[in-house]
Amino acid sequence: MRVEDIIELFREDKPRVSSEIRHVWAVFWANFKIFLSYRTWVIMETISTVASVAMYSFMGLQVDARRVALAGYGEVDWLSFALVGVATANYLWMCISRLSHSLQHEIREGTLEPIITSLINMRSYIIGQSIRGFIVSGYFMLGVLVVGIGILRVPLVINPETILSFIAIILLMVLSYAGIGIMAAGLILVYKKGDPLTFLFASITEFLGGVLFPLKYLESIPILYAIAWLMPYTYALDAARRILINGATIFSLNVLIDVAVLLAYTIIFIPIGLRVFRWGVNRIRYEGTVATY
Amino acid sequence: MEYAVETFDLTKVFVDKEKKGAERYVKAVDHVNIKVKHGEFFGLLGPNGAGKTTLIKMLCTIILPTEGTAKVNGYDILKEPVKVRSCLGWFHGETGGRSLYWRLNAEDNLRFYAYLQNVPKDVAEKRINALLEFFELSKDRKKLVKDYSTGMKVRVMLARALLHNPPILFMDEPTIGLDTISAVETRKLLKALNTELGKTIIFTSHNMFEVEQLCERIAIMKDGRIIADAPPSVLREMLRDVHAIEIEIREVNNISETIQSLSSLSIVRKVVETRNDSLSIIVRLQVDDEYEAIPIIASKLRSLGVKVSAIRRSEPTLEDIFVRLTKEGAA
Amino acid sequence: MDVKRLIEIISEDIPRKKTPIYRIVLSFIIRDFKVWWTYKFWLLLDISGIILFVITYYLFSLITTSQQVQEAGYMVGGYFTFALIGIAFQQYVHFAVQSINESIREEQWNGTMETILSTATDFKIFLLGEVCFSFIVSSALLLMSLLLGILLGAEFYTTPTSILTAIILTVLLIASHMDIGILSAGVIMKVKQGSPVTWAFSWLSQLVSGVFYPLKLLPWYLEWLGRAFPLTYSLDGIRLCLQSGKDLTSPAILSNIMCLIVFVIVATPIALYIFKVGYDAARRDGSLGQY
Repeated sequence: MRVEDIIELFREDKPRVSSEIRHVWAVFWANFKIFLSYRTWVIMETISTVASVAMYSFMGLQVDARRVALAGYGEVDWLSFALVGVATANYLWMCISRLSHSLQHEIREGTLEPIITSLINMRSYIIGQSIRGFIVSGYFMLGVLVVGIGILRVPLVINPETILSFIAIILLMVLSYAGIGIMAAGLILVYKKGDPLTFLFASITEFLGGVLFPLKYLESIPILYAIAWLMPYTYALDAARRILINGATIFSLNVLIDVAVLLAYTIIFIPIGLRVFRWGVNRIRYEGTVATY
Repeated sequence: MEYAVETFDLTKVFVDKEKKGAERYVKAVDHVNIKVKHGEFFGLLGPNGAGKTTLIKMLCTIILPTEGTAKVNGYDILKEPVKVRSCLGWFHGETGGRSLYWRLNAEDNLRFYAYLQNVPKDVAEKRINALLEFFELSKDRKKLVKDYSTGMKVRVMLARALLHNPPILFMDEPTIGLDTISAVETRKLLKALNTELGKTIIFTSHNMFEVEQLCERIAIMKDGRIIADAPPSVLREMLRDVHAIEIEIREVNNISETIQSLSSLSIVRKVVETRNDSLSIIVRLQVDDEYEAIPIIASKLRSLGVKVSAIRRSEPTLEDIFVRLTKEGAA
Repeated sequence: MDVKRLIEIISEDIPRKKTPIYRIVLSFIIRDFKVWWTYKFWLLLDISGIILFVITYYLFSLITTSQQVQEAGYMVGGYFTFALIGIAFQQYVHFAVQSINESIREEQWNGTMETILSTATDFKIFLLGEVCFSFIVSSALLLMSLLLGILLGAEFYTTPTSILTAIILTVLLIASHMDIGILSAGVIMKVKQGSPVTWAFSWLSQLVSGVFYPLKLLPWYLEWLGRAFPLTYSLDGIRLCLQSGKDLTSPAILSNIMCLIVFVIVATPIALYIFKVGYDAARRDGSLGQY
């Protein structure tokens, strides 16, 4: 290939096609491929997911079933109760930590600079990254549920209606946290480290959200109990349990209340998150720290 | 007339936060005003740390200016960043092959940016193939970038900057990580893009001869300021009567005293710089006539008891231009 | 200062003494402490992580029965004390092994490992230095979580002899996990990634060593697998001491101690050998300073 050939090629110039969907797709696909290239990590993470489910099943042998009934899902065995909690909590944690993780990576490797000089807007970038996060985390959540239902015979109610309702609740849960996740991403841009924060955030969610025990037991500590009911996760978990344990659907009254709360969080936080993120991008452009290699 | 690039008192001050709240201000770019015509091959010459990269990054909308603004292709970098981005290609050689996705192969990297730059699919594939072949990467196109050598990574980055066929190219040290042959090919390509397709190219380097060869006009930058803006012929003219010699000093008791007494000689115009070589100190002087100067300086050094391993004539360098320019500025 | 004077000073030949090992190890500990102190935020995070962990299992214990724990021979304190000991000691060794790995990786990243190994320090002492500091920090965290547990109502059966026996078991626990840390450090030097050894070890031991439940609840094959892990013996021994007041006179404790000693005797040469292999391999392909 000679210089003249390249020149000839560039002489014909087709008009560019502007499409946000293509941008989202490009970001998703590139990052998904990067994820797949970490093969050892994927395998290790898969095995530890399976191991954790097994561990919970043995823990369940020591639980007094009457006390789980206090949670208000009827006569339910603890493993069903915990499995739904673990699956949703892991999903949430993965979504949020993946986004912050890959953003930090882009800053460190200097790949954010060429992205800024390109035509993609930050909204498409975040959506692309998030879709990657949903799918990757979905894989691990499916792992938890398949092992639980298939191997350990956990009696969850599985039919088309509950599956669709459950997926809808998961989406709502992620959306209700999207604003916070994007806000965290904006702060990571500026302060360059966020892993500690998302980690702390995740462990608090897991602890206060009632993953392993009914929230009733938190009532003796009013402050924690109040905080627990301020977190969207608590509502999402409640809805998910009603669906998978009691066979409710998204149109059942109790679930609808949860859905309303989740929607409210979504509507309030996403605009705030986007604003913080935009602030973050402009701030690092001003400071000149878009890349920190 | 509308310019391809026009800056208006463009300034960037970085704040270095030190411990205990103390702040240090670094003026990376200081009230720069340049105008680049459409289709011009414009060189930005300066030593490392002169502010070239910051200037370029501001024009590419990666960094926001502290003061002033600029227009790229007629669009304001502050008010219409998206339009600015649609007409520029950016390359930054100093990263040494970072800024690519190391866990993707060359092809996927280029395809990713082609999508982000809104290049239609068929056109993108054609260009990716051609550019990979031109930069001799066809063989390794399926290999992950992390297994590439630095030179190969730099070539992928060059391809990325050209992929969307932008009318204005910002080439920040494009030949820095390349071997001699690829550097020559790259310069040829840039020249052809400029002459055949009329692309505006802003080219930075700290290599004076590279810039002189390629550019129609050269701006010289130092400490954030443009200290000269002229065609290379003027630059060459400026250097024509520069006569420089270099002294290699092996052993000396007091270097500053020695330099003092050298500069007091009537034949010495100015001491340009002193730098270290592996085992000796090199002092560079501008003189009126090098053949007259050498014996005079040699005897002076002998009387001072300085041990010298060589005194020689020397080709003009970037440093000489700086000295010329700052002296003229003062006069 | 001119060159001649400097050369005079350096060439003044003081006979070199062999630095005592404890001095070298101490200098490692001091250096690590200084580096670690700059990451205060991480410390805060480690602490809050452990606090949350303990409280979560406190709340979980409220819905459990103590029946299985008592059937397994741990008489006092019920499920919460049982789980507290499990978590505290499992985190203890996990943290220690992990930080050995991290410091090795960090040294490789920064290229400081090349510098250290180019000084006259023997690699075994180098290892000991790296390992010591990790155990000091994790011991502090261990004590903290036990104290928090007591605040939340954990009960221990404490007699001087049972505490002493528990300490002996802890020392053996440390010794056996140093081997595991060294082994995985050797693997890291070769593969230059977060060690799969540490990871697998950490997960498996959580699953089969009886951290959250008595081993009796496991199916026979997992119970059998659990016997391959030193943590299993240490946890059983420590619980028998602190929950049932057993001491060195009890045959159950003695058999736990014997198993740990056998593990240490067998594992130490293997771990050192694997570390040496990894270290030599890294030197061979010149990647000690690489990441």
